[in-house]
Amino acid sequence: MDMKNHPQTGLFFHYTVTSNGNHIDYKELASYVAGMDPSVKVWTCAEVPCTEAHIREQIGSENLERLILAGEMPGLVKPLFTKCMALEKKDPANVSIVSFSEYGIRKGETDRAKQLLACALNEIPFEIAAMPEEVPVNPATLVIGGGITGIQAALEIAYANFPVYLLEKTGTIGGKMATFDKTFPTLDCAACILTPKMVEVNQQPNIRLMTYSEVTGVSGVPGDYKVKVLKKARKVNVNTCIGCGTCAEKCPASVPSEFDAGTTLRKAIYMPFPQAVPNKYMVDADSCIYLKTGKCKACVKACPVPNCINLDEQDETVEINVGNIIVATGYKPFDAKRVPQYGFGKFPNVVTSLEFERLLNASGPTGGNIHLRSVDKKGNPVFTTDAPQPERIAIVHCVGSRDKNYNKYCSRVCCMYSLKFAHLILDKISDAEVYEYFIDMRSFGKGYEEFYERIREENVNIIRGKTAKVEESKGKLVIRGEDILKAEVIEQEVDMVVLSVGLEPCDETARLAEMLKIPQSEGGWFEESNYNTSSTGTFRGGIFIAGACQGPKDIPDCVAQGSAAAARAIRSVMKGTIPLDVIELPLAQIEKRIKELQPVI
Amino acid sequence: MSTRVNPELRNELIKFGIGDWNACYHCGTCTAICPLSENGFLFPRKKIRLMQMGLQDQLTASVEPWLCYYCGDCTETCPRDANPGELMMSLRRYLTSVYDWTGLSKKFYTSKVWEIAFILVFAALVTAFFLVLLPSMGYHFTKELTAEGGVKVNSFAPPDLVEWLDWGMAITVACLLVSNILRMYYNIVWKSGKTTVSLWVHIREFWLLIFNFGVQPKFSKCSNRNYWGAHWLLMSGYVIMFILIVVYLPWFQTEKIHAWWHPQRSLGYYATFGLLFGLSFAFIGRLRKSSVKFRFSHVSDWLFIVMLTLTVVTGILVHIFRINGMASATYVCYIAHIAVLVPMILIEVPFSKWSHLAYRPFAAYFQQLQKFAVPR
Repeated sequence: MDMKNHPQTGLFFHYTVTSNGNHIDYKELASYVAGMDPSVKVWTCAEVPCTEAHIREQIGSENLERLILAGEMPGLVKPLFTKCMALEKKDPANVSIVSFSEYGIRKGETDRAKQLLACALNEIPFEIAAMPEEVPVNPATLVIGGGITGIQAALEIAYANFPVYLLEKTGTIGGKMATFDKTFPTLDCAACILTPKMVEVNQQPNIRLMTYSEVTGVSGVPGDYKVKVLKKARKVNVNTCIGCGTCAEKCPASVPSEFDAGTTLRKAIYMPFPQAVPNKYMVDADSCIYLKTGKCKACVKACPVPNCINLDEQDETVEINVGNIIVATGYKPFDAKRVPQYGFGKFPNVVTSLEFERLLNASGPTGGNIHLRSVDKKGNPVFTTDAPQPERIAIVHCVGSRDKNYNKYCSRVCCMYSLKFAHLILDKISDAEVYEYFIDMRSFGKGYEEFYERIREENVNIIRGKTAKVEESKGKLVIRGEDILKAEVIEQEVDMVVLSVGLEPCDETARLAEMLKIPQSEGGWFEESNYNTSSTGTFRGGIFIAGACQGPKDIPDCVAQGSAAAARAIRSVMKGTIPLDVIELPLAQIEKRIKELQPVI
Repeated sequence: MSTRVNPELRNELIKFGIGDWNACYHCGTCTAICPLSENGFLFPRKKIRLMQMGLQDQLTASVEPWLCYYCGDCTETCPRDANPGELMMSLRRYLTSVYDWTGLSKKFYTSKVWEIAFILVFAALVTAFFLVLLPSMGYHFTKELTAEGGVKVNSFAPPDLVEWLDWGMAITVACLLVSNILRMYYNIVWKSGKTTVSLWVHIREFWLLIFNFGVQPKFSKCSNRNYWGAHWLLMSGYVIMFILIVVYLPWFQTEKIHAWWHPQRSLGYYATFGLLFGLSFAFIGRLRKSSVKFRFSHVSDWLFIVMLTLTVVTGILVHIFRINGMASATYVCYIAHIAVLVPMILIEVPFSKWSHLAYRPFAAYFQQLQKFAVPR
């Protein structure tokens, strides 16, 4: 490419050779610069040592008027070069730096390094040359995940009068929050906050709700994404189903209910929970007897609406076009069976926090009363109100979190929901003895420390020391741990143990990350484009992340991120255009821009 | 009493193989998972705390490192990968060097050069004793065989003389150990000055020392009892061999070939079996790194089992060659046997890994004394 007439320029590469070689191929960069402007004198720190005498000799002998220092951290040597320029009676202001690490250039990204060099040599700021092209944006937005985060994001966009697709993997929106009893620290009823929002979603004309659906492919560019959606066969017509429940009464197949965390049974044709949105029945193809054996159809015979249930309905794939995508896929609870010393799955009264949440809930298996798990006539463990109530309950913090054997991160919510449990237990069984075993109490949010103080005054035994194991002795569970502050080993007999399990990324996270071409950070969560300033942004334009899929967080933080991601989607939709990704900008484009900009700047 | 903090303790302990104890965030899992930790004698967490804080006086007054038999449960469940099991092992090395007044223990634990040079010098001395000194005193090799066809080993290495040297070595080692145990007693029971233990308690609880020496009851409480079993076979085999060699050498080292069931042979065979079983258990485990106990091997761990194995193998060969009348092979193996055995006993028993034969039973005894301690 042609060059403007520049004073005699020297280009100096400054780098350190690491054990796994250099980040960048400096020879290739040198030949690129030579091809662009042969008059530029290029040398590296490997050829000429970075000392005052050597640099001055170089400046003097080549009569350099301008210096460009490029490399991983060239700022480190800039003062030396400035001094040398001054000593050689040149303009010391004519020293500029091109820092590859500042622009986050990774191994092998030589093209980006060339772009930066071309801009520096032509004295055009890279930010201006790389100003991405604006393309028109499709006004529709896709929200993946119908939990509290997805609901919040979808509602924000819908109320701004733009169309939204809300995609949900299960048969109802609501997510994990719908299963909770109370929220901390306000002790609000979770369903009372969430269900009105769920109904709003159903009634908002701008929201197109797609439940029981999954993303199977994403293509396109920012502003114009084409998303393939697998709509799984619900086998019940959502438009005609009246939700009477006659079909479920007749259905002979029972399986553990996902909504009740396995503490109750549901039928193969079922409504996930009474306040489900859409409030319609659906068929679970994996447990339906007709779909497995070809005989039954009890539901079809019982249904009062003609042709409402069609057990032969097939899955279908549809393609939708959207301008922005908000990922809000949430989390999955840590599988407590992975910690064998806690005996989950072995002792019936070691329960996980999600099971306990259902036990506390008025719509749960025991109508909100805490009872021990017993064994029914068939030998299956069940919760019934006939079983005795526990007198002593232990709550074990940090199950699967802050543990290098499982997940080393803190799951953020467990301390607070464990304290909430302690309060709710005493609320329901006033003379119960509650023991909390923690490592560090992380009550970090607004009103959280005050909540902790409140629980501490409520006659709860809060003990510092992680539980090492749970054993059974004479029909009672025994917690073994060390009370750190008293420096003694404790063996506490209890009736029930609640394991405060941590949060993990959903199983689909890796597959989605690949389809959306966004990276995952350590621990498997989606990676945000900037931890501090863009926690909902990704490295791709028009794709945003929100809620627990970005990292463990509680409900207020999820809702805040849902709104934040919605705002970012609305930004481009209202403007009408969206910038293409800088990361995809080719070298030729930058060279073309430099040429265009040269007469202007 | 004021509490003195030694900020240099960290640098001191690292030399004994202690890893990253700063990783510990004091959750107490290790203490609670340990089947041997009991109230009043809590470990490993409390000991890690002392290390982190540089409380050297309290650390050297600890009996707990000797109460740990390293099953590895703590390391397996540690949420911070702080490796409490190996930290306790390193502490035992450190404490051995603290009890040892000669300073040699520290040299051997922290310097391979010192340890190997010591072994080579003593191996050379032993060889010179057999090749130079004994012939000059009139004891010579002979290819002549006994009437039964066995090698005349006694004419080359007179059992009376060898037994005198055995006793000399045993007494030297015992003196070193006893003086170190007195230092251990001073550190653990006496030094704090806050409590006192009556003489009657000392006498009444003395049986614990014998019991722990012979059976290692604490070790058997570890979650995996196989370690205890293998160790007991090795230990009993060695004790029998030791008694035979030191006390009954003229009876044990004979030129007459007894029937296989004769105690001289059958006891030797049991001892050999016990030693070989225990050693192969340790060898295979450490090579495969099959469990936490065997995953982290210090130089002193390897040196101990390698030298003991060499001793046993050369001992077996002496026996085979002697019975079959292979004179030269018998003599070579006999010299090699003693050349490994002597430096092994001199290094390992008073200064290194094998000192646990005394420190562990005494620790159990001292722990019991502490339980009956009354304020002064």
